[in-house]
Order: sequence, then structure tokens, then C-alpha cells
Amino acid sequence: MGADVIKIEPPEGDESRHMGPFPSDGPHPEKSGLFLALNINKKGVTLDLTTEEGASAFRKLAKTADIVVDNLPLGHLNNLGFGYDTLRENTPGIIVTSITPFGNRGVNMNWKATDLTLFHMSSNASGLLGPVEDPDTEPPIRAGGHQSEFVAGMAATTASLIALFQKRMTGNGSHVDVSEYEAMVNQTIAGLANSAYGRPAPTRSLKEVRETYISGMAGAIGGVLPTNDGYVAISPREDAQWERWLGVMGNPEWATDERFVTRKGRQTHTEALWELLSQWSRQHSKHDIARRGQDKRIPCFAVNTISDLLANEHLAVREFFQEIDHPVAGRLKYPGPPYRFSNTPFPLDARPAPLLGEHNQEILEGLDS
Amino acid sequence: MINRLPLEGTRVLDLSWIIAGPTSTRCLAIMGADVIKLGSARRPDPSTGSPPFQVYNQSKSYAALNISRPEGLEMAMSLVALSDIVVENFAAGVVERLGLGYEAIREVNPNVIMISSSGTGHSGPDKDYVAYGSLLQHYTGWNTVSGYPGQEPIKGGLWADPWVGMELTMVAVAALNHRVVTGEGQYIDFSMAEALSASIPEAILHYQMNGAVKEPMGNDDDWNSPHGMYHCKGSDSWVAIAVTTNQEWKALCCAIGKPELASKPGFDNAEVRRDHRDEIDAAISQWTSQHDDYDAAEILQNAGIPAGPSLDVSRVYNDPHLRSSGYLYQVKTNDGEIRDLPSLPWRFEGQSGPRIAAAPDLAQDNDRIYRELLGLSESEIAQLVEDQIIY
Repeated sequence: MGADVIKIEPPEGDESRHMGPFPSDGPHPEKSGLFLALNINKKGVTLDLTTEEGASAFRKLAKTADIVVDNLPLGHLNNLGFGYDTLRENTPGIIVTSITPFGNRGVNMNWKATDLTLFHMSSNASGLLGPVEDPDTEPPIRAGGHQSEFVAGMAATTASLIALFQKRMTGNGSHVDVSEYEAMVNQTIAGLANSAYGRPAPTRSLKEVRETYISGMAGAIGGVLPTNDGYVAISPREDAQWERWLGVMGNPEWATDERFVTRKGRQTHTEALWELLSQWSRQHSKHDIARRGQDKRIPCFAVNTISDLLANEHLAVREFFQEIDHPVAGRLKYPGPPYRFSNTPFPLDARPAPLLGEHNQEILEGLDS
Repeated sequence: MINRLPLEGTRVLDLSWIIAGPTSTRCLAIMGADVIKLGSARRPDPSTGSPPFQVYNQSKSYAALNISRPEGLEMAMSLVALSDIVVENFAAGVVERLGLGYEAIREVNPNVIMISSSGTGHSGPDKDYVAYGSLLQHYTGWNTVSGYPGQEPIKGGLWADPWVGMELTMVAVAALNHRVVTGEGQYIDFSMAEALSASIPEAILHYQMNGAVKEPMGNDDDWNSPHGMYHCKGSDSWVAIAVTTNQEWKALCCAIGKPELASKPGFDNAEVRRDHRDEIDAAISQWTSQHDDYDAAEILQNAGIPAGPSLDVSRVYNDPHLRSSGYLYQVKTNDGEIRDLPSLPWRFEGQSGPRIAAAPDLAQDNDRIYRELLGLSESEIAQLVEDQIIY
């Protein structure tokens, strides 16, 4: 979005430089797909904050900053001598955003966390697979990638920008404490609301779903059908949508079966219905079904693979992917921002992620003593 | 101590409904913005009457207005003139047909910030696609990075909407900052689909680097081991354990009463541990099966190992951490009951707490909005109610 971001790495580099994806799965500190994607448009310097030289450079850098963001373990920055109070003395009006697994208060504030533990503890894993045959052999799963960290990062961006707005209005800085766990819990506010009103959590047991005629995912909010080249996701949940959907399928004879005439009936007889739908969908391609459905204003989408996504015409027209050349990793397409600002077009200055210590000379040597 | 919430003095006209849009204006309201939600009994917000509505719409005002009528549209425009931000999440093109497109609203408020969020964005060949967040998780590749190789795509949860809600908030505040500096407002075209694709960069880069789609790997990890779910005492009871360093590995072996595992040759290497995962997992499971999930996590955490129980949402709701950290907040909801409702995942240290108020009912704030803000008289308001304009 245009901020001048200086990323400080320890001399050996950010840990994410050692996390994949890598070409041919060969680790290389300048070729981590994760690091490259997360650090576009930043400048990078290396500092050892445990040495007097590093600490002094950090102090001078902080003096030039509006915002300092850290996700070191709770209290670590303070122990290095850079707690909020110290930084504020050095730089009045500074904003310090600290991201930690559980925040700086609460009974579990000293617990450690990873993406896996946060995804599960926050109940986001509980519903991800949908109901399963045997909950005792099929554990809940986390989503792929680093969703917990991204969710916490987005919350921290939001909070930091709120603090920046406050600073611009009042001159006051602030210390913002962000909890990764709460950020993930915040993804489940609909469920928390149901709990606050005494509703039980959704079951993970397919057997219970069947016995109690609770509509499964297929009935309630749509489902996934097999096609001759993958899958298509559909959700003709309203009666009018269902009527139009039958038209897309060429009005099959079974549609008049009284089990499927009402929405409630379709939800109750989900499995029989899904089998009939699948018999039809297997004869067609996912993009063909999606297009024919959308032509009739029915919510349905191809289940796109990553290769589909990179070839997607809609995203190409919107210039979503940004091709950026990196001196070591080469030319790659990165997902861009999901928003377009009419007055501040992006990318302002698409620059690849920094090499380790790339801007040491430019930034550190220019610091006032 | 700052006694003023950061967004106090900012007014948001909220035309959004269902989940993603309301989630973002909720966040702005809790941080102090004056959020005026407009709705109509003609086409009520689909979440009306459900418990989630009570959270999506916390701390907002709610006025009834039938904007399909010219008088209603005119009143909406008067509110636009008094607002800093307008948020909407109708399908692409709807707000323009209603007469509230950006070109129209900037006529009455040239520096307004308008945020339009839709399933696939407001340009491109698929912009008119009818979308639900759950389906967008399929369209965007988001669901394909999860699950197990060779199986049906995961069914997903309600991930897209709250994720987008937070990003919309971020975007709104970014535009506010821009306006403070430059005086300019702007129009923001937001695509929910792109917000999901943007959150799987690893998969997108893996494909380009290796020419193949990376298979999903359940709870496994590329580097760390042991890393996964272990069954605990009781049915459907699991603890997540993620060992990220050798120190944690040694601590785990001691915690589960198998110190000899730590000294096995090569086991100080995560790759070797992955090759021997059956042996290691059996040892861990033997220990976890004797403990409740939360107890197991607590014992492991006390030994310095990242671990956590796999909870369902009602257990999250009852997690003592969330009350002691101040995330769950006592609120009197509009049925007169006291309930613990969520706030936001951050604290501004030493500043006044977030503003958590009950969600409003439709038309609850008609008087403040129309009499105090628009300066209408009581008889004018009564006439507008009778004519089903305030409706």
C-alpha cells in the first residue's frame, strides 16, 4: 500500500527463508516462495540486536519510524531493551504492534503456538473436513499454508492502521497487543454467537447428522459434485434457484419425486439426491457446468486447481497476479492485493523481496549518529 | 490515558448485509466509529433473528429506509453527505441500479470513501457471478490446499466471510489514513475471491517453481516432525502437537516418559524422525490416550512444547483464556439477557476499552438518525413511516 517498510532480519536471516516452497524442494535462503511472497516491496537489513552495534542501529532506525511491528516471543523485545516505554522515550508518538500467540494477558499467555495448534484450538479445524464417518479415526484437520499467521497478520495490519489514524488525528502513539489465538477465534464469531445463545456446536459425526436429519453441508449451504475433469461446487438452495438448476440439467424425470420437491425434503434426502446429481455431473466438465449454472443465476463454481487459477481469464483481466523478477529466484507471478483503490493505483513500486542484507549499506550507513 | 476511541468522529454508512460487510463495519463500530446500518423490512438482512446477527452488528445504529423509493434514496443521499465511509457488499452492479453508485454519491460528498465488496470483484468477465463465500473457497483454490491427496475436496467452513471482513476493515482504515493526509476520498473495488487466492501464495509459487500442484497434507508439515493430532482420553478427543526444535523434541520425549527416544541415533533430525513416524507416533499416542485433551496440552506446554486441544466452538466459547484475556465481553443483548460476546483480537494498551454494545433491531435508531442527524420533524417522520419510506 505504499508504506516504506524496513524489514530487520537477524544475520542468519528470517526463519521463513528456510521454509518452502522451493524449486525442486531444494532449500535456498533466497528462493523460499513463502519468504518471497511475504516480503515484496520491503527493504531488508540485517542486525544482531544482542550486540551494542546492532542495538544502536535499531534505536536510530526506530527514531525514524511511525510503526514498529514485532512477533518475537512475549517479552523478548522488552528483554532486549526495546519495550514500548523505552521506544516511546526515544521516539514520542511511536506505535508498537506486538503479535504474540496468546497476547500479553490471560491464563495461557505463556503458551507456545504454531499454525497447527492455533487452527485446532480456535475450532477452525473442527468443521473443515465436514462431518466424518468415524470421528475417532479421522481427526479434525487444519487448512493448508499458514492461515493462522496470515489471519493474525491481517488483524495486526488493521490494528496498526487504526493506531496510525489515531496518531494522525491526535499525535498520540500507542502500544497495540495482538493475539494470534484471538485473531483465529475471531474467524468463528458466528459460532461464538450461537454458543452465547446456548446452541450446541455442530457435530463432526456423519452418523449423528443422518440420525437427526440435520442437513449436511450438501443440503444447508451447497456441496461438491464430481465432473469428468474434477469437481464443481453448487448451491441452488432457494426454491427458485432449484427450479432453474433443474433446467440446467435438462429437467430430469426424478425431479418430480416428492422427496425432492421442497427445500426441506432436499435437505432431508441429501444423500439420495447427491447421488442423482452426481450421475448427471460426471458427464460434463466443471467449467461447462459452472458457466451454464451461472448463466441461470445459480451460485456454482468450478473447483479450481492452482493451475486453473493461474490460467483464469477473469483474474488475468483484473491483473490480479503480479509478475516480479527476483535476482536469484527469477520471474514469478505473485498474488496481488484483492482490492483496487481508484486514487492510489497498485502496485506503487513492485520490487521483489530483499536479498539477505540487501539494503544494509543504503539504510544503515545513512543513519545519523 | 486516552479516553477517546481511535475511530471516534468517523461516520460510516453501512449498506452491507449478511456476513462479510457487516463484520467489517462491526470492527469499525467497536473501535469507535459511528456506524449507521440501513435496512428495510421489505428485504431484511438475511441474518436477522439469528444469533450471529447479534455479533455481526454489535455496537451499530440501525435505521429503516426503503431506498427503492425516490424519497428513500434522497434520504440515503443526505446520510451519504454526512458520512466519511460508505460500505456495501451487494452483487456487482446492484448499488449502481439503486442509484447509490460511487459516481452518484461523490456528487453529494466528493471526498467520501466507498468500499464495494463482491464475490469476484467489479470488473472482468466473471464479475456478475452469483457467489456465496463457501463456494468461493472452491473457486479460488483455497480448499484445494487442504485435506488429503486423492480425496474429494474438503467441504470447508465459513472461512471466507470473516477473513474478508477483517481485510475490508483494514482497507477502510487505510483509505481513512490516505484521506487525512491528502484530503481525498476514493472508490475501492474489493474481490472476496482474490482475498482467498491471496492467502495461499505458497501453493501458487510451488506450482510455478515445480510445474506441479502440491498435494494437500492434512495435519502434516513439510519440515517439522512430530507434527499432528494425537488421540486423547474420550471420544473425538485430540491434541495437536507441533515440535519445531530439537529442544522441544527432547522435552517431548521426557514429558511422555520416553527419554530413551531422544537419544536414538539420528532422532535429533526432523527428517529422520519423519522416517520413523510410526514408532514415534505410537509412543506419543500411548501417552496422550491416558490424558484429557486439555490436560495433555497443559502438561506439554509446561514442558515448553507447542500443543493445544482440538476444540469445537462451544469449548472455545468456554475457554477460560478468552475471559481472562478480555476477548469475551459481558453485554446485555436486546432480549434483556446478559451474554458473553466477542470483542476484537487486539488491545490498545492504556486506552479506553473497545465499545461493545448489543446489536440493534431494525428501526431502533430512526429517531436519532432522522430527527437529530437529518433534522426532520416528528410529523415528517410519521408521514414517511406511513408512506413506507421509513420502512
